[in-house]
Amino acid sequence: MEWVESVILYCLKKINNERTIYSVYHILKGKKSSQTIQDIHLYSLKRLFGVLEPLARDSFEEIIHCMRDNGWIIEQGEQKYLLSSSGEQRLKNIGIPIFLNGWRYHHVTTIFWERFSLLVQVVSNLINQESSYIPIQKNKKVLFWVKAVLKESHLSRSEIGEKLYEELNECFEDGKGIDPSMIVFRLTGFRQIGLTAQQASKKMNVNVYEYHLTFTNTLHYLIEKIETRGANFPILTHLLKGLELGDELTITARKTWKLLSQGYSIEMIAKNRNLKTSTIEDHLVEFALQIDRFSIDAFVDKELQLEILQIANQAATKQLKLIKEKVSRASYFQIRLVLAKYGDRQWN
Amino acid sequence: MELENLLKKHFGYLSFKTGQKEAISAILNGQHTLAMLPTGTGKSLCYQLPGYVFDGSILIVSPLLSLMQDQVEQLGRLGEKRVVALNSFLSLEEKNYVLDRLQDYKFIFISPEMLQSSFILQKLRNLAISLFVVDEAHCISQWGYDFRPDYSKLGEIRKSLGCPLTLALTATATRKVRKDIIQSLGIEDAVKVESTIDRPNIAIWIEEIEGYQKKTDRVLELAAKLEKPGIIYFSSKKMAEQMALLLEEKNNCNASAYHGGLDQDTRILIQQQFIHNQLDVICATSAFGMGVNKENIRFIIHFHMPMQIESYLQEIGRAGRDGLASIAYLLYSPGDEQLPFQLAESELPSEQQIDWLFHELEIGHGIKGDALQFNQGTQERGGFSEVQWRLVENLLRKEAKEKSSLLDCKESIKEFVNERITMKKKNIYQMLQWILSNRCRREFLLNYFEEQVTSRIEQCCDICGIDEKNYSASHKLRKNHLGKIEWKEYLAGLLLNSELRE
Ligand SMILES: [Zn+2]
Repeated sequence: MEWVESVILYCLKKINNERTIYSVYHILKGKKSSQTIQDIHLYSLKRLFGVLEPLARDSFEEIIHCMRDNGWIIEQGEQKYLLSSSGEQRLKNIGIPIFLNGWRYHHVTTIFWERFSLLVQVVSNLINQESSYIPIQKNKKVLFWVKAVLKESHLSRSEIGEKLYEELNECFEDGKGIDPSMIVFRLTGFRQIGLTAQQASKKMNVNVYEYHLTFTNTLHYLIEKIETRGANFPILTHLLKGLELGDELTITARKTWKLLSQGYSIEMIAKNRNLKTSTIEDHLVEFALQIDRFSIDAFVDKELQLEILQIANQAATKQLKLIKEKVSRASYFQIRLVLAKYGDRQWN
Repeated sequence: MELENLLKKHFGYLSFKTGQKEAISAILNGQHTLAMLPTGTGKSLCYQLPGYVFDGSILIVSPLLSLMQDQVEQLGRLGEKRVVALNSFLSLEEKNYVLDRLQDYKFIFISPEMLQSSFILQKLRNLAISLFVVDEAHCISQWGYDFRPDYSKLGEIRKSLGCPLTLALTATATRKVRKDIIQSLGIEDAVKVESTIDRPNIAIWIEEIEGYQKKTDRVLELAAKLEKPGIIYFSSKKMAEQMALLLEEKNNCNASAYHGGLDQDTRILIQQQFIHNQLDVICATSAFGMGVNKENIRFIIHFHMPMQIESYLQEIGRAGRDGLASIAYLLYSPGDEQLPFQLAESELPSEQQIDWLFHELEIGHGIKGDALQFNQGTQERGGFSEVQWRLVENLLRKEAKEKSSLLDCKESIKEFVNERITMKKKNIYQMLQWILSNRCRREFLLNYFEEQVTSRIEQCCDICGIDEKNYSASHKLRKNHLGKIEWKEYLAGLLLNSELRE
């Protein structure tokens, strides 16, 4: 559980008593609410978004209580915690898995794994001239994808296994601090069926969540390697083809963006889309976080923007309520917009 | 062409198994056929092979999505591309695509729900159907243990498709159920191919054991002693998990649990590991086994008693498909029957639930034939499980068409539910009677299906006596083939041809 605990400690440290543990939970689960999306930007936790998707709520609470009992975190009331000095020390000693990149890769991690594991299985059977086997992936899109890749690669049956092996080897050998066995023993091939996640965690002698985190770290390492040095990996580079990496707007926010760009007001968009105004406001906060060219000037005048930022800086807080008390003429929406637009860059 | 030649050409087998040839010959002769072939004797060949003789399509009604998927994949592996499954897994887009090209498919699998749609039925009517197949045909009969209301309409549907040549398939059906199948489908002149339900190479052993702990110890002992691979069946997911852990820790055996609570990826992997002999023992709920074609399963252990003799036979029937000696243990503790009784009741809605639902209907919506719609959340508020809800919905739709008043509907649904519960209880009692009896186990089972014992079997059952040595493990277990292997070596094993490996 070392890394799971460490990741939670890291989050608690970053949010600095301004959010409850459940904000942390939602971040690790990858909840797509505007609150969570805003939090990961405000507190620089983008990398940890969704990296512990299978984490059950009660397991999370158990870990928190356990860390409290160990004296690593100190309760501040209302489900809020701060790190103790021993907690700080622990975080410093252990660190967090360095390749995790949830905000950028979380939404493609599953499909990447589906493609990757199926490609290996298909190639392995191909070089052994076996055509009758059960594909371990059922996703039709992935099945079509693998067929297309094999067609496109123009490699002979004898070459393709060798090439894939070389690319993977090169990829893995570069990775300092990753353990390729986390992924490799999960792979299925000719007359050799890979381990399930549970079996793998047992083999590695770690708890299932710890295993998931390490597995994800290794996958993100692989994705990053392929993304940045794709030219070196002519086969592996197919794994990312057609996948949209990077910051994603929720689909519903995309529609709002379109209307906004056409000059509609918030109220008009809400009416047009049959949504609450507050929902549209959430979308705008999302734009402020993610779209550099999106100007918030139309919604908060420059002067007010400055005022909000100054208060936030002075109080060293991102808590809306505290800011609102001092800048009463600003609405909560305006404060959120300003923090979303400038918060991240100012503090980090 | 000779049937054997077709068999070799399309399926790669040299000879037919019991009953297959009779059933196929009858169908090719244009006769309706009811084939009762025991589990593991390749029922599906009976419609697959005629597919290569007939010009038109083969329409196969199948009750279980997973079963359908297995059959589609099986045909796919044989190189048959003209296969499709019409079920609720398809998106609207995919469904429309398929429906526009129905005539391009040789084998069309369909779920009974899909046949309720008049739109789909219309499409099927325009199709040349050479053979109408009803798989798991015992689901038609109210007397069957697995009655499905939507199956009872298949006779009507068959008629509306112009009464095509029909094949009804089942593994286990009593005479009463078989009669029901024939009547309900309207194929009175059907040829009956009924092979024995007996599997002479499987010895049957029942043991009474006091208490859970002793049972667990006995399973560990058996699993250590017996030749593997084997399957241990449980009624509870949790116990299956626990036992798998115990087997790994105490017996040093490669074991995994398998049940409906696992995600699909995991289920596929475990099934495949078992088939490829990477696992020695599977601790499973009844969710495991359908579509698992593994020839060399040497033992089956029932930790809990099944709900009826038919299920028991299906489950032990997964052993010894290679014809070699295999053994089936059933461990019974007094009081074990309570669990199946509870399960039986939980599968059906209670009287209170039905009353509540009809109260909702009275104050909410009336009944207007097919347009019967519930508010979202009615299922949840009424505390209906998935199984219960499906049944209630089906019944309501059927009753609403026939009955005039809500009260009539309610009464006949209650009556139906009561009948089902009585039936299920009777099945459990029969199972129990068999367990507690002092008669030859095999003889009892055969008699249950109105068959007679024809010859004495050397290794028969605990009553007749068997030599347990026949089933002992011949060599020590090799634990975890992955033992010390490095990731690089493993990867090379997958991706490099053996001559390239160092
Ligand atoms: Zn006997």
